[in-house]
Order: sequence, then C-alpha cells, then structure tokens
Amino acid sequence: MNPATQPAVRGDASIHAGAWAMWLAAVVAALAVSRNPIYLALILAWLAATWIAAKYVAGALDAERAVPLSPLHFGLFVVSVSALFNGLMVHVGDAVLVRLPDALPLIGGPVTLEALLYGALNGLALTGLYAAFILVNQALPVREMVRLAPRAYYSIAVVVSIAAAFVPTTLRQYRQIREAQAVRGRRVQGLRSWLPLLLPLLTGGLERALQLAEAMTARGFAGASTPTHDVWTQVSLIAGIALAAAGLLLRLVWGAGALGLATALIGAALVAGAVWAAGRRHPQTVYRPAPWRMREWAVAGGALLTAAFFVLPLPGLDRSSLFFYPYPSLTPPGFSLWIGMSTWGLLPPALAMVGPALR
Amino acid sequence: MRQSGLSVAIYALTTLLGAAAFLYPFWLPAAAQAAGSGMAHAADAPLMVSLLAGLCFAVLLLEVQGQGMSAKVVALLGILVAMNAVLRFIESAVPGPGGFSPIFLLIVLGGYVYGARFGFLLGALTIFVSSILTGGMGPWLPYQMFTAGWTGMAAPLCRPLVRALRAEGKTGEAVVLAVYGGLWGFLFGAVMNIWFWPFVSGPAGQYWEPGVTFVEGLRRYAVFYVVTSLAWDAMRMAGNVVFILVVGVPALRILRRFRDRFTFEYAADRTGVNAPLVTGGGR
Repeated sequence: MNPATQPAVRGDASIHAGAWAMWLAAVVAALAVSRNPIYLALILAWLAATWIAAKYVAGALDAERAVPLSPLHFGLFVVSVSALFNGLMVHVGDAVLVRLPDALPLIGGPVTLEALLYGALNGLALTGLYAAFILVNQALPVREMVRLAPRAYYSIAVVVSIAAAFVPTTLRQYRQIREAQAVRGRRVQGLRSWLPLLLPLLTGGLERALQLAEAMTARGFAGASTPTHDVWTQVSLIAGIALAAAGLLLRLVWGAGALGLATALIGAALVAGAVWAAGRRHPQTVYRPAPWRMREWAVAGGALLTAAFFVLPLPGLDRSSLFFYPYPSLTPPGFSLWIGMSTWGLLPPALAMVGPALR
Repeated sequence: MRQSGLSVAIYALTTLLGAAAFLYPFWLPAAAQAAGSGMAHAADAPLMVSLLAGLCFAVLLLEVQGQGMSAKVVALLGILVAMNAVLRFIESAVPGPGGFSPIFLLIVLGGYVYGARFGFLLGALTIFVSSILTGGMGPWLPYQMFTAGWTGMAAPLCRPLVRALRAEGKTGEAVVLAVYGGLWGFLFGAVMNIWFWPFVSGPAGQYWEPGVTFVEGLRRYAVFYVVTSLAWDAMRMAGNVVFILVVGVPALRILRRFRDRFTFEYAADRTGVNAPLVTGGGR
C-alpha cells in the first residue's frame, strides 16, 4: 500500500522503465496489427515465458499491486465471450454449425465455425494486451513510471507523485474517521452512510492541501501561477494534431497509404517537438539515475526489431501473412519465417530476469 | 486574448478528434466504402486511431497544465486525486450498487466549483493514479482518462443552468449536478465498451461484409451494450444520482469555502507599504 517507498532497484533483475515501455509498445503494435493465429500463439508464448520469469524466477512482480483478475482467467472469459458474440452476430462463412431461426432479431441466421474462430482470435489478442500491461505494471515501481513522463509534464508528474505519496495517509485518515463514527454507534450501510465518512475526509484533506502548499512555497516551488508556454507552442500543437488526423483519414478512408502515413508522422513530429520545446523550460536533475546497461540495449533493440517487422513495409518482406481473414471459408494461415523469428525480439526481458538467477 | 482563443481551439479540436477516434468502429468502415478505397489499410486502423487518441490526450494535457500551476493548485489536485484513489479502493467497504463508483462525485463537484481545467486534471489523474496503484493500467487507460477528464471538464456547463434556476447553494443545484453525474455515469460505461468493441466484433467482420453501414454498426453495438452492460451502467447512473443528491450540498459548501482560501495571491510589494492581499484571482 505504500508504493512511493519501494526500492527502485530490486536485486539484479531490474530493467529500466524506458526499455519496458519500448517492449510494451512492441507488444501492442504486434497484437494490434495481426490476427494470424501462428503469430498470436508465438507472441502469447513469449508473454507467458516473460511472466513466468518475472514472477517465479526473478520474483520481480509486486504482489501488492496484483489485479484481482489474473491474465489466465481474463483470457478464458474474454475468448469465450468474444467467440460466442462474434458467432451470434456475424453470419458469414461456409461451415455452418447451427441455424438459428431467422425470426430472432440480429442473432437469427447461420452460426458459422469461421465467425466463432475469428471471435476467439480477437479474444486472444485482447488477452495478450491485458497480460503485457499487467506485467509491466507490477514489475515497475510507481516512481520509475512517473520518471518516464516527459519534462514538459513536470507539474503533472509532481501532482501524481503527491497523490501517490498521500494515498496511505488518506487511507489512514479514512480508517480513523470510520472508527470514530463506529464508536459513536453509526453503522455503515447504504449510500447515506457516506455522508459522515466523506465530509470529514474532504475537510481534512483540503486542510492538508493548504499546509502542503505553504510548505512547497516555503521550499521554493512556484507560489503563483505563471504561464509556461507561448503562442508558438500552441500553434504547433494544433497544426500537429490536425495533420495527424488528416494523415489518418488519407490513409484509411482514401487509401493514399504512403502520403497519409507521411502526413501523420509529420503531425506527430510537430507535437513531439512542441512537447520537447516546452520541456526545455523545466531543467531537471536526477539524484540517482537508473542505469542503462547491456540488458536495456537488448530489450530496446528486440522491441524495435519486432515492431519493425510487424508495422513497417520493409523491402523484400512479404507481409501478406499478417492479414488473416477466415471468411468466407477457413484457409490455413500463411507464415513468414522472418516475421515469426522477429517475435523473438520480445524475449530479452525474460532472459534478463532469468540470467541473474542462474548465476 | 489571442492565447486564450488558441486554448479554446485546442480544447475543441482535441475533444472533437478524441470523440471521432472513440467512435471510429462505426463511421470508418462506412466512410471507406463510400470513398471506394475498400480495405487497403484496414488492418492499421486500430493502431493508428489509438495513436491519434493518445496524441490528442497528450496535447490536451499539455495545454491544460501549460497555463501554469501554482503550488496551491498542485497541492490541492494532488490531495484530491489521492482522496479519489482511496475512494476507489474502499468502494467495496461501503455497500453500493453494481457499477457505482464514488469517484465521480469529486470529479463533478471539483470541475463545477474549481473550473474546467481543474476538473479535467482531477478526472484524468484520478484514473491514472488509481490504476498505477492497483495495477489496473492497460490499453484502455487513455480512453478512461479522456472520459473521466471530460466529465470534470464539462461540469462548469451546469453553471448557467443553476444560475437560471437561481438554485445556488440550494437543493436545486445538487439536483442539476446529480442529473449531470448520472448522464456521465452512463457515458463512461458506453465509452469503455467501445474501447474493446473492435476486438469483439473484429475489423474483418466489419470490413469484409459488404453494406455494413453506420446504422448497422450502431445497431450491433446497441445489442451488445444492452446485453452486457446496460444493467451494470444503470446502477452506476442511479448510484451517481443518489450519491450526489445526498452528499452534494454539504460537499459543495466545503469546496466553496476552501476555494476562497486557495485562490488568494500575494501581490508584489512595490510601494514599500505592507503587501496588499488580493482575493479571488488565479483561478
């Protein structure tokens, strides 16, 4: 319950937050692009390996931040629900299993094997996303995550740090209020019982915020509000998102692939430039920098490799196997050895966590 | 003046594009079919649209904090976010119905009393902090943060209505805010479902079938929504309404009292006399 005081480096298995972020981005990109069952199976297998390495070999997962729903349970639920739903709603495909009476609205019609299967594949992709995010969540301390924020978001990072640091205090205060109300004979039941709990909590919290603000001002944190960015930042932000949106429309609606991608990238670059320029106003020093070692290079390089093979139109690479459509009748999915091997790029975190344990 | 015009433009553009990105499973297939380009780059759609939504969110966040945050605003936000994160933890301790979550109370009231920028940050950061603390961070995070942020950002829109009803400080004010909170309770659920709707209905399912129109997409989504989430979200809505009705008036009184204490600023002492105290500025 006190994530702000966790040690930044746990044993030898720690991996830099930036490297984790790149790994996560590669997983998301690969899962978003392909529904080919072979690639999905490979990615899920590497995710499972990373999970096992982090949890059972390196012990790097923070049990206090464990979610109630494990990826395995989530997967079972989501795969069955999305298979069922897709099967009932999409009446396309040749292998008809059952024919529901047409009188039923929307779900009436043939239920096909293809639709069921495609729904299950979608569920698998969703499960992979869930597992990857939960893994990184539990492997990274809150402080490391906040440190990832670009410097332009300095004030917001401060707010997040304050909030994370004050959660235990607030929880303690909540328990005290609850005990006090219990001593006075109030029972907690229904919405009405929030009133005597919430109002003292709110008043106490606001008082604490005032004290905190005074302490911060006394220590030199800006006491008054000063605007931090200028007209040019705003103009490039507007131009950036407008270009990004235009590029997306060009590519997805009018089919101008390369032009659309280029426009979108220019837009994104404009926004990134504005964020960078705004960040230069907040020079920052780090007391204990997180190291960037061989393993971080390996994780980052692997992530780039996987993402490149899945997303970029590399010359000489046959990307047709990425697009798997089961309709109208099921065909065996294509497989490109290069793309299959590029999924190995997701393995370095698992190796980095297993390595120290073997030594 | 020019700068505040640009700020409004950023708010409007990011909101518009964000909403379009949320709703893409409905309009994109129809638009692509109308333009006759078919499914040339259909597989890129989920990734590109998510990136656009993330970009819009980053821009809006920068704009909202970029006008400068004083130590008081930073401290107030930090504490209220912590409080909301705690409320999200303990919601199981106090019985409440279904999808009900007490976090909307402070987001709605905070945005209403302290302004749109504050409301946006309170909503978005509440989701962010509670999800990094509980490990509930996922690809749905930008959607959740956007929606909760909008909830707080649009809350000041209730002010003219309250003023027209002459209900400031009375029960009528809580009623207006309760209706508003209930509405967003619903919208929050609907938006969260849209996030994984493309995964459930599948891009191929939508793109392959000829004649899948906007209306047909919406109809399918409606069925999905009614079957899976309507009851859950209805309970959230009812919970929000009752909660704001019960707690609204006294909580508003507390927030208003502290607003006066939070928004004073010291003016620089140029005359050599004691520094005058300026109240009500820097909201």
